[in-house]
This record gives sequence, C-alpha cells and structure tokens, in this order.
Amino acid sequence: MISTRKFGGYLLLFLATWQTSLAQQSLLIGSATDRTPVATYGVPQNVSRIAGTIRDAESNEPLYGVSIQAKGTTQGTVTDVQGNYELQVPDGATTLIFSSTGYQMQEIEIGGRTTIDVLLGVDDLALEEIVVVGYGTQRKSQSTGAISSVSAEEIGRLPVTNAQQALQGRAAGVDVVSLGSRPGSDVSVRIRGRRSFSAGNEPLYVLDGIPLSGGLGDINQQDIQSMEILKDASATAIYGSRGANGVVLITTKRGKTGRTVVSYDSYYGISEPLNTVDLFNGAEFAEYKRESRRATGNYNDADPAAADARLFDPVELDGIKTGRSTDYQDLLLRDGNQQSHQLGVSGGNEKTQFGISANYFDEQGIVYNQDFTRYTLRINIDHQISDRIRVGTSTLGVYSIRNGEGFNPYGGALEENPLGKPFDDNGKLIFLPTTDGLRTNPAAEVVPGANIDETKRTRIFSSIYGEIKLFDGLSYRLNFGPDFQNGRYGRFIGSQTNNRRGGDPTAFTRNSTLFNYTLENIVNYNKTFSSLHNVNVTLLHSIQQDRYEEFRTDVRGVPAETQEFYNLGAATIIQGVGSTLVEWALQSFMGRVNYGFNNKYLLTLTGRVDGSSRLAEGNKYGFFPSAAVGWNISQEEFVKNISVIDNLKLRASYGATGNSAVQPYQTQALLARTVYAFGSNGAYGYRPNVIGNSSLQWETSTSLNIGLDFGFFKNRLSGSVEWYQTNTSDLLLRRQLPITSGYNSVLENIGETSNTGFEATLSTVNFDSDNGFRWSTDFNFFTNTEEIVSLYGGQANDVGNNWFIGQPITVYYDFEKIGIWQSNEVDEATKYQRKVGEIKVRDQNGDGKIDAADRIILGSDIPDWSGGMTNTFEFKGVDLSIFIFARQGNTIRSRFHDSNNNLFGRYNNLDVDYWTPNNPTNAYPRPNQNQEFPVNSSTLSYFDGSFIKVRNVALGYTFPNSLTNKLKIQSLRLYLSAQNPLLFSNYVSEHKGIDPERALAPDGNNQERSSEVNADTPSTRLFLFGLNVSF
Amino acid sequence: MKSIKIGLFAILLLMSQACENILEEDVVSGVPIGYINTPAGFEDGVKAVYSSLRNFYATERGMSLTVFGTDTYTMGSDGSFKFVNQYTSQLDPRTSLLTEVWNEFYRAINTANAVITRADAVTGLDPTRKAIRVAETKFLRAHYYFVLVQMFGQVHLTLTENTGIVTEAKRTAIPEIYAAIIKDLEEALPALEAKPIDWGRASKGAAEHLLAKVYLTKATSEAAKPEDYTKAAEYAKNAISKYGYRLLSDYARVFDQGGGEINDEVIFSVQYTNDPLTNGGGNNAHVFFLMEYDVQPGLQRDVQNGRPFKRFRPTNYTLGLWDRTVDSRYEKSFKTVFLANNEKTIPKDAAGKPKYVLGDTAIWLPGYELTAAEIAAKRYQVITPSKYTPKLYPSLTKFLDPLRPDRTTFEGSRDFLAFRLSETHLIAAEALFYAGKADEAVTFINTVRRRAAYPGKETAMEITPDKINLDFILDERARELLGEQHRWFDLKRTKTLVDRVKKHNPDATANIKDFHMLRPIPQDQIDRTAGGGSSFPQNAGY
Repeated sequence: MISTRKFGGYLLLFLATWQTSLAQQSLLIGSATDRTPVATYGVPQNVSRIAGTIRDAESNEPLYGVSIQAKGTTQGTVTDVQGNYELQVPDGATTLIFSSTGYQMQEIEIGGRTTIDVLLGVDDLALEEIVVVGYGTQRKSQSTGAISSVSAEEIGRLPVTNAQQALQGRAAGVDVVSLGSRPGSDVSVRIRGRRSFSAGNEPLYVLDGIPLSGGLGDINQQDIQSMEILKDASATAIYGSRGANGVVLITTKRGKTGRTVVSYDSYYGISEPLNTVDLFNGAEFAEYKRESRRATGNYNDADPAAADARLFDPVELDGIKTGRSTDYQDLLLRDGNQQSHQLGVSGGNEKTQFGISANYFDEQGIVYNQDFTRYTLRINIDHQISDRIRVGTSTLGVYSIRNGEGFNPYGGALEENPLGKPFDDNGKLIFLPTTDGLRTNPAAEVVPGANIDETKRTRIFSSIYGEIKLFDGLSYRLNFGPDFQNGRYGRFIGSQTNNRRGGDPTAFTRNSTLFNYTLENIVNYNKTFSSLHNVNVTLLHSIQQDRYEEFRTDVRGVPAETQEFYNLGAATIIQGVGSTLVEWALQSFMGRVNYGFNNKYLLTLTGRVDGSSRLAEGNKYGFFPSAAVGWNISQEEFVKNISVIDNLKLRASYGATGNSAVQPYQTQALLARTVYAFGSNGAYGYRPNVIGNSSLQWETSTSLNIGLDFGFFKNRLSGSVEWYQTNTSDLLLRRQLPITSGYNSVLENIGETSNTGFEATLSTVNFDSDNGFRWSTDFNFFTNTEEIVSLYGGQANDVGNNWFIGQPITVYYDFEKIGIWQSNEVDEATKYQRKVGEIKVRDQNGDGKIDAADRIILGSDIPDWSGGMTNTFEFKGVDLSIFIFARQGNTIRSRFHDSNNNLFGRYNNLDVDYWTPNNPTNAYPRPNQNQEFPVNSSTLSYFDGSFIKVRNVALGYTFPNSLTNKLKIQSLRLYLSAQNPLLFSNYVSEHKGIDPERALAPDGNNQERSSEVNADTPSTRLFLFGLNVSF
Repeated sequence: MKSIKIGLFAILLLMSQACENILEEDVVSGVPIGYINTPAGFEDGVKAVYSSLRNFYATERGMSLTVFGTDTYTMGSDGSFKFVNQYTSQLDPRTSLLTEVWNEFYRAINTANAVITRADAVTGLDPTRKAIRVAETKFLRAHYYFVLVQMFGQVHLTLTENTGIVTEAKRTAIPEIYAAIIKDLEEALPALEAKPIDWGRASKGAAEHLLAKVYLTKATSEAAKPEDYTKAAEYAKNAISKYGYRLLSDYARVFDQGGGEINDEVIFSVQYTNDPLTNGGGNNAHVFFLMEYDVQPGLQRDVQNGRPFKRFRPTNYTLGLWDRTVDSRYEKSFKTVFLANNEKTIPKDAAGKPKYVLGDTAIWLPGYELTAAEIAAKRYQVITPSKYTPKLYPSLTKFLDPLRPDRTTFEGSRDFLAFRLSETHLIAAEALFYAGKADEAVTFINTVRRRAAYPGKETAMEITPDKINLDFILDERARELLGEQHRWFDLKRTKTLVDRVKKHNPDATANIKDFHMLRPIPQDQIDRTAGGGSSFPQNAGY
C-alpha cells in the first residue's frame, strides 16, 4: 500500500516540478513552512567539490533522486540509488539546497565542508494537504470547495470490479447503489441527490484530466491513486455545463524518481450467494396448487386421491408420491470466484519517470454463464525535456469479455414447478419437466452453448500533455485525450431454451465504435506578492468531440447451433438490421482566480462558458459562474495559541453549474419510421415523432455550500461538516402534451427541483500507543432531501409519471394494502367488488369504491440517511479493518414479491403464508387458478429497504523488514478478506428478501426510475486471500 | 524572450481553434420533418398512416375492447384485463388499453393531417397518384375518427397538421365529427382505385363499406338524420354489387391462411406478413381464444394448435347460437377435436398399455352432453358443456396461425380481415330493416345464411321477413362475425349493450351500467389539456 503522503509526492512531481527550477522555487511544495533550523559552520571558503549521502530522517534509508543545487547558481545534481551525491560548486556559492518531493526542503550553508550528509524530514504539512482539483492541484488549506477524497488504500482494499463501487460508504454525499450482481454490473452513483428527471444524474468522471465518455467499468481500480469527489459549486463550476451532478476526478498511479520497484499484487477469492429465494418445496407446492383449485370449487376434498389424479399430471403425481422437491435455483448456481493479478514496474530518474502495470481480473459469477474477465495495461510516463518543457502521457489499454450481461435464467427457475423432474434416470436433461408447455427446464438455459451472451470491449484511452514554463509563475499546458472504444455484443439463443422453446435458434450482434477526444489549452499563473498575496489564475479553452457508430443484425434460423452468431448470413430470416451515427461536440472557455491573503482569507472566482452542439443556434452557449470564500481561522493569532486546534477553516461557496445531457438531435423536428406491408411487400413509412424545440438550453443548478474543516489534538480528531442547498431550474422535462395535438410530449426547460443536505466526515485516531497499537476510525454520515418544486403544470402533480410536488423525483405511488378480506367481511368486500381471500386495500377517500384516486405515495427509494464507518487496527505488522455501510429509511419495491408471488397455482411461488378459509391470515391472498395475479398484487411488493452491511473485513500481516531484507524483497503483506459477511435488514430477516441494495438504471429516455429488486442473480459474499509484494 | 513570444503565439493559434462550426449539428441517421414534402416522403407518410391500423386490429387491446364485456364472450382463466369484461371500477380513465388506442389513433390522425396538408406542396409526383394517396389518407382518417367517436363519444376533432406545441383540445359535438368523417369518405370515394395495385390499400369498395357502416351507426347517434338508413343501404349495396366481391362457397375457406389471405370476400384487410422486418408486433389474435389443451393428457403445445392464452371464453349464449344441424358455422368456428401429439402423457389402461397412439383423438368436445357411460366408453378425454371451465372451453379457430415458424412466435403473419363482404350484407340488411324494407333485408341475410349452410341445407337456413328483428340481426352477426372485433360496437350501436351483457355475460351482470356505453376518456388527455377537466370533461360515470 502506498501512503497518502507519497502519493502527494507523485502528483506534485507530475504536475508542478517542471514549472520551476527545483532548487529555487519554493512555492511548489508549499514553501516549507516548518523548516528545521540549520547550523552555521565557521567561515566560508572556496570549495570546488562537495559529496555526501542523503537519508530519510525517519527510516534512515538512503534517498534516491534528491536534488542538490548550489544556491544562486545553475549548478546542481541528484543523488544516486545509494543516496550519494557529488557536486562541483562554483566560486561564491555558500549554500546548498536539498529538495525532494515529499520532503522538507533544506538549505545548508557549506561552511567550508567537503562532505555534507543530510537527513531529510518528511514534509507532512505540504504533502498531506494537497488535493487534486479540476485542472490542477491545490493545497488543502487553500481550497474553498467541498471535496471528498478516497485514497488508493481505501480503493484497493475492496476487491470490486468497478472502481465506482469503491466509493460506496467512503465519501459523504456520495450515494452508491448496486445495479445488479451479474459479474461486470455497473453501479448507480448519485452525488448529493438527483436533480434531473431526464437529463441524467450521473456525475462527470475525469480520468487524468480528461472527461470520460461513459463510466468506469474499464478502469482497473488498482491503477487508481486517488479519487476526488467535487461536490459544491466552487469545486465543480470549472466543469460548467457538466458539473451539476458532481465530478469525480480519478488520478492514476505514476512513476516516481527513485529505485525501480517491481510489485506484484494478487488475490483469489470464492463467492457464494448471500441467500436463495425461499420457494415452496414439492409438498407445499402441491398443497398450494390444490388450494388454487379449491378457491374455484374445482378440488373435491371428499375424494382427494381422485381430485389429485385429476389435478396433477403424471410427473407431478410421481413427484408427490416420491417426495420430489427439485431446487431449480440450485441447478443454476455454482461456487463463484474472483481473482486479480497485477504486475507493476515503476521508477525513474530526475528527468523521466515511468509506471507500467498489467492486470488480469476475472470473476466467475455464482450463476453459470455469467462471468467477467478484463485485461488492462497502463503505461504512464513523464519526461522533463528541459528546464521549461515537460511532456507525459498516461495510456490505458483495456480488453474485457463479459458473459451473461443480458442473460437471466433466474426468473424461470423461481417459477418452475418443484414436483417436476429435471433429469431422466440416465441423467439426461428433460426439456419440459412437466406438461406445462411454457415451462421449460431452467437447467436447459445453462447447458453450454444454449445461451451465449457475450460482450467484448476494447479501449485505448490516453491523456497526453505538454507543459511549458513561459516565465516566472506563468505556464502553458496542452492536454490531448483521445479515447477509442470498440464494443461487440453477441447473443445466441439455441432451440432448447425457454426463449425459443424448440423454435429456430436466433442470433444477434451489435458492433459499436466510439471515438472521443478532448483538446485543452490551459494557461496558469501562480505568484505570491509581498509574501502575503497568493494569486493563482487558470484559463482554459477546451473542445471535445464524440462520434458513436453502431451496427446491429438480428437473425432467426441459424442452421447449425455451433455457428453461434458467427455466420448471420446463413440464417433463414433476418429479423432486423440497423445502424446509427450519433455525434456531439462541446466547446468551453473557463477562467478561475484563486486569491489567498496571508493564508487566512481565501477567494475563488470561477466562470465557465460552454457551447454544445446539442442545443440549437442561439442557445448553444451557457455561462456558469461561481464564487467561494474561505477563512483559515486556525491561522488567526487568537486561535494559534489554542493548542488543541490544529486546523479550523470555514468555507462558503455559491455558484451555478449545468447539465448538458440533452440527447443529440433533440432540438430538431424529426420523423420516426413505421412498418407496414402491402401484401408481402414491406411498406416502411415515416411520421412526425418529435417536435423540435429550438429554445432548449442547459439545466442550471445553483448551489450554496457552507462547510467547516477542523482538526484537533494534533489532528487526531479531524473532519468536516457541510450543509448545502441546490436549486435546479430550467429542468429538461418532457412536458406532456394532450395527444390530440399529435404529439405525446415535447422536451422543454420547465420545472424546478431542490436538494438540501448535511454531510459529516470524521477521522479519529482513538489509540496510538507507544507499543505500536493504533486504532483509527473514519466515519461519514449524510442526508439529502430531494424535492420537486415545480413542474410544467406549475404546482400541479404529474400523476402519470409519479411526479409530485414536494416529493423526490421517484416515489412509489400505489394502493395501500391493509390486509386480506376475511370470511366475516363478505358484504364489505362485495361492495368493493372484491372477494374473500383477496387483497384488501385502503379506500383512502372513503367513496365506497377502489379506483385510481385511492392510490397514495407509499415511500421513496431515497434514504433518510446513509453512512459508512471504517475501523482500522494496527499492531506490529498486523492490520485489521472493518468497513460498515448503512442506508436507512428508504422504501424498495421487491418485484419477486409480486411477480413470483402470484399464487396462480401454476408457477412455483414464494413460500408465503397465504389465506385459506382455515388460515385467516392478513399476509397474502388466497391462491386462485383463474387469476394470473391477484388484484392489486403490486401492493405486496413494497418494503422498508433500510440496511446495515458489513461490507468488508480485512485482516493483514506485513512482514517485518528484518525478514523481508533477508529475502531481498522490499515489502510483503498477506491478507484475508471477507466481502459482505453480514447484512442486517428487516426486508431480509422478516420478508425473505436477499439484499435490499439495488437501483434501477434510468430508462431508455434517460428518465430516473425507482429501485426494484428483481428475480436475478443474488448478491454474493466473497472470501479471499491476497498478497502484496514488492521488490 | 523569443521563445516566450513563440509560445504566446502558439497559444493564440490554438485558441483560434475556437471555431463555431464544430458545434453545428447535422442529422444523419434521423430524418427531418421536411422529408414529407418530397415525393418519397409523401408516400412514406401515407404508409405511416396505415401502420396505426395494426395497433388496434388483431392485438390484445383491440380484441379486449371489442370481444370482452359483450354478450358473446366472457373471461377465461388468464389475463390482465378481466376488468374490461367485468366492468368493475378498475375500468377507469387510466386503463392502458384505452390510452394506447387513443394515443396511437391521434398520432395517425396528425400524420394524416400532415400528409393531406402538405400534399399541395409536394412536387414531382404524378397528380393522379397524389390524389389516390390523399384519398387513402382521408379514408384512414375517417376510419380512425369513426372508431374514436364510437368508443368515446365526443372527441377532439382536428383536420390540420400541428407543428407546434398545442395544449388546447375540446370535445367536439358528435354531428360535427360524423360530418367530417362522411366528408372525408365521400371525397375519397371518387379518387380511390377500385382494385388497388398494392393489396391492402383502401379501395372504392372499402370506402363504400365504411360509409355504409358510418351511416348505420350515425343513425342511432346524436347526429342521426332520417335518411341515414337509406344511405347506409345504398352504400352497402354499392359495395356488394359494383366491385366484383363474392362470398366464398365455404365459410371455413374465408379464414384459410396463406397466399396473403387474399380472397373475393375481403374488402379491406389489415396487413400482416411473414417478413419479421415489416410485420411489427404481428397478428396476435391467434392466442386469445384458445383453451388450455396443452397440459391435457396426450397433448403438448405445438404450432398447429397454437399458444393458448385462455383469455376469451364463449358465453352460453354464444354456444347456443347455431342450429348445428343445418348451420355449419359452429363446426367451422370451433375446434372440436384435439389429436394426440405427446406420446409421454397418453393415459395408460389397466394393463399399462397406452390408450391411444399419436395422431389419435386425445380430446373431443362434442358440444353437447353425453351420458357417463358414453364418456367412460371413450379411450380419450371428452369435454362436454357441463365440464367447461375458464380453462377448458370451445376454442375459436378462425385466427389460428399454424404458419408461425415455431410454437413460441407471438407475431402471427395472417392478415386481419377488417371488412368482409358478409358483413356488408348484414349492414345492408340492418339498414334496410330499419328503413322499413324487411323484404329486401331478408335477401341479404339469406345470402349469408345460405352460404353458411351444410350442403343441401340451404333452404333450411333461409328466413322469412317476419322473422327479422333486431335480435335476429344481432344474433346473425354473432354467428357470422364472432370474435372479429365488431361486437362491442354492434351492441353499442344498437343500444343493447347493457341489456345483452346483463343477460348473457355472468361475470359482468352485476357491474355494467348505462354509462358503460361510452369508454372513459384517458386521464392523460384530460390532465394534459390546458384547463384540465373543465375544458376536456370526462364521460359521465367515470
């Protein structure tokens, strides 16, 4: 693991060192405020050659690559691997300057010596307080924005597929919810709530300075040095029209000056389902099926043998007789596993640094046919061409193969009759285990070759820069970020599957290519005047263009199943072909001024102008300004004396950001294609589809943020609290039109939402004893209240879309179940056109009938609060960390509580307490063979989704240097880790749920949807063993 | 300093990339609206107006709204829209089926309006051809309004294209709507082709048939005029006599599949095809009327017998409609025998020997009762009327689609015969009956009935003028046109909906009220109209 302070060093090296002549400029490492007093040695005299060794003051390790400069001259050198240096000092030089990133700079008078050995102390202050901000870095004490950082250590500790998952529970205000458990699944990330109905609420991801097209699924998390989450307007306004949903800056690991380090990081783990769905077993199924016939008077209890013989087919009767209870979930499930192997080489000299790593990641899901394999290669190089010019690149190559993205046999397995016989006596699969023609054997879905669902992705992403120092404090940087993505999705469905049920096999392919580039010109000016006024000005011009092409082919009647989707032309029928081109471009100008007075009073002003191709002429450009102030209270004299206070800073920001996610071409009036035929001749038509709205503009979010950073007791207690309010107006909303106008809706800038929240982050060192025992806690807590303020109808609700003024963007709006109609309530039930044994819902308006007016808002998937806590214990090389994550007060919709709970007497069902005349429960209705699903069955699916998860427990041991030195290795750590070992939730403990943590991705119109837990691959628990070694 | 100057120059140069044209948006994959003004775009616009027919005919929504909740059909065991049959409070303004029809038809109307409005601006198209296309479009627009006015009563009438944002809408008086429908059809009639080159396009005969039906329906509406029945009869007779249509000799052949479902009896059919690229959602009518044969002994689901959704179950009224000794239409409409196709589930006798083999009868629905002894004597399953359940009942065969490529395929390929000649006869009969010409009416009914007779029973099928009355006409329509998406409209037109449903449909008896003669206006329409319920009021009762 790499410490934060070293990380800060890399960053500085990368971003700042070239700007200044290393020996002279102090501003880059934050003007080492805390210098060690330097001894004076006698009378100066002319010396021509000085040599010495430089070591780390703490570890006494020799330091490579330390720069030594004779003050006031251009003469300088660097230390070798043994920390030795030798320097010819010209006449007149009296002082040497020793500097190395991450260490305090020292000036030492030569004093006539020829040997000067130096111990360099680590520069805690400067390094630990560096944060990455948009288009640069900043000392944290100078920052006025609300920024959360997640370190490599935290990211690396969780063996996740997708780096976004590592943000879960780590940063206040960042709500991360899983979108599924199939390997390679994405997660939903929402920063400070959701603002937009249909323009997207995904944050902007910026990788090594280049805004990314798409999520982070291609990024190997072990390559990430840090992720910074920019939350308030002060931090995000520099991203203007794309900042409204927050910005996540991802910085990858870079090489550093010094010894070449070879590292190998690896883990292997085994996963299992958290649980499986509790369904009726064979005997329970038989009884429930009988009850479904009793309900309609079709089961004669006087003669059960005859009634059974009439009701059940021979397979079922055999099943009842032999006590068969087939567990179809079990036929789909296997032990999953996950592994990652990373080999890295990094190092460099004073001029050139490099970091190269290769990673292999593989996850075999717990359901057959679902897996994800990814190969990544990262090459980061920085090179100093001259004192003034520096160039570098970070390049990422990815190749991934995902199976089973669109493959879900789970729903079928839950429906399958447990009395059925999946295999004959010779072990051969029986395609129809019962006489039900619809219900094919779920095990047939996972027969090799029956279902192929394969996504292959290739991506090459580069961030290339050149920097030139023009004159004192002024620099120019050119960033170029090409991003090439190629995707291929292939789907083959064989004949013996539920989808085809013996019909001809189908095959489908989709090929897509995406090319995106960003070109940025950045001018930076940084100067301190009179030691009091620190001014930093950043100017930017940027263009980004994106071109996406797609080709699809869909066929039926593949002659030989072995052809899969590799010979579509041989198929008998083409079901569909298509291609698409989508292009967009963005042009931006940005200016930012940071001003600091005496390190106490800070001001940041930002303005960005964005122009987008997606908007119509005259509305293409939008302006997004922000202002922020900060007050370093701890720098004030009256506070400096209070010894317990190390840091106290008050921040406030106000500004506007935008959301640009109008789909391209939305401002134009377009036709839609229709299909018809005259006889057997195709008759494609075109009809009006979209009303062009040339007045569309950006959604604008105006936010106010007030924050307080603090550090007490030598920073053993540190953290921050934030309060914010964001008002979003000009929402891109599909204004619903009366269809008599010919159009269903038009996209307009109407409506407002607001988000208000509170965030607290706290880090404490609870124990730090001399015997080496250390216990620290990182804690975060946040709330967000999301509210629709107005819609296109002003204060009128849009019931059709479930949008209600004063409520979050997504709510559950339905009838309220209050029980089951009981035998003594016949008259009352009849009045409501219901029967005994059916679901009883509340007549909210008491008008004596149940109709749409009786629906109410049952809840929202927005939690009341969320939080995360990590406790870390360290003792003599042993480290233990426990990470707990909680979301509380949200409602969820559990779809298998209605779709797999229809009590229809045909499909297997959730093992529920259903009503019968002898069991007058209020829990679930009576089975009924003539009812595909009970009336108001959706009311069975709403639950409290609160949970507390122990996300990770990791126990590691770092071998002592005394041992590793003998083995000629630099460091060695072994660890054991458990993911999701424990889950506490009422939904799980009381209602047979598996995992309440699930979000639904926005729909095809990019509209937000309420979360739903579906019959799908269950969440997993993972136990793994890992190793980190470096040479 | 020189290098600095060069650097600054370079920066300025790069900044000058800030050119406007990268922000220009070119539509490449999409098609802008101006395309309709081109000859090809104009033709495509007309085709688009046709495509909305598929939304209604032979779909779950069209079927559920016309077959369910009538005297002929009640619900089977499955399906989401039982409330449409039952007329419970769930049949409310949020009923998706209604909203879907409303939305699709108004989109079609706006497309038709665009085509008609822009026709003059289209250059480079043969004027005759243009006139034919405009006439087709008017025929379709009239058709859409006709369905809407029957279902919803006063609807919004607009005959010009909307290009901007319109939130005003109003409920137009029924006479005004009928006037617009008739104007469109009467203008279309002279320009339309008698035999269109493309099968499936609107023809003169189709326009005459639709005019006949429109006048017949208008005659019982608020827009009624004394001459409506005469006009209806006149147009119907024109359709029957002028264009060479002919009743097939065998009722069963009308519903033969294959060859594009082209026969002399078809006046207008909604087109489906076996090319999945242009079949859209396909003809789905094949699934709804079938009983659950596929879990019965000796049987499994196959393409020939179809996918049994068991949605629509014939009422006892329906099953008693035919005199099966002379009228062949019961036998030709319902499946009475299922042949064994699943060896594994063939029942075994006491000796363990299968009772019958593949291809033998597995189920017989005689349509009448047998004694227990008679039933016991059969090797196969016998389902007599007393054993009918919501899952087991006579299945209507006229929509079966054995040419589907496999038993799973939902998108059937057969055309849906929306207007056929025997209905024209029945329209003529109904109009003439109300016009006081029962003698003439009878000739049209008898033509239909003679065709339906078993060979040699033609005379027995004939009726005399004194037998003709509204009930007889409605019964005859049920016998001839069962399941063909007419029934709800027939009962509404003849104002017999409530009586007949109460009498014959046990699942709806308790709930149906007079206000159910109109469907509820979709709530979305009311909510989205400027002024809401006060400018676009809901139909009474909902």
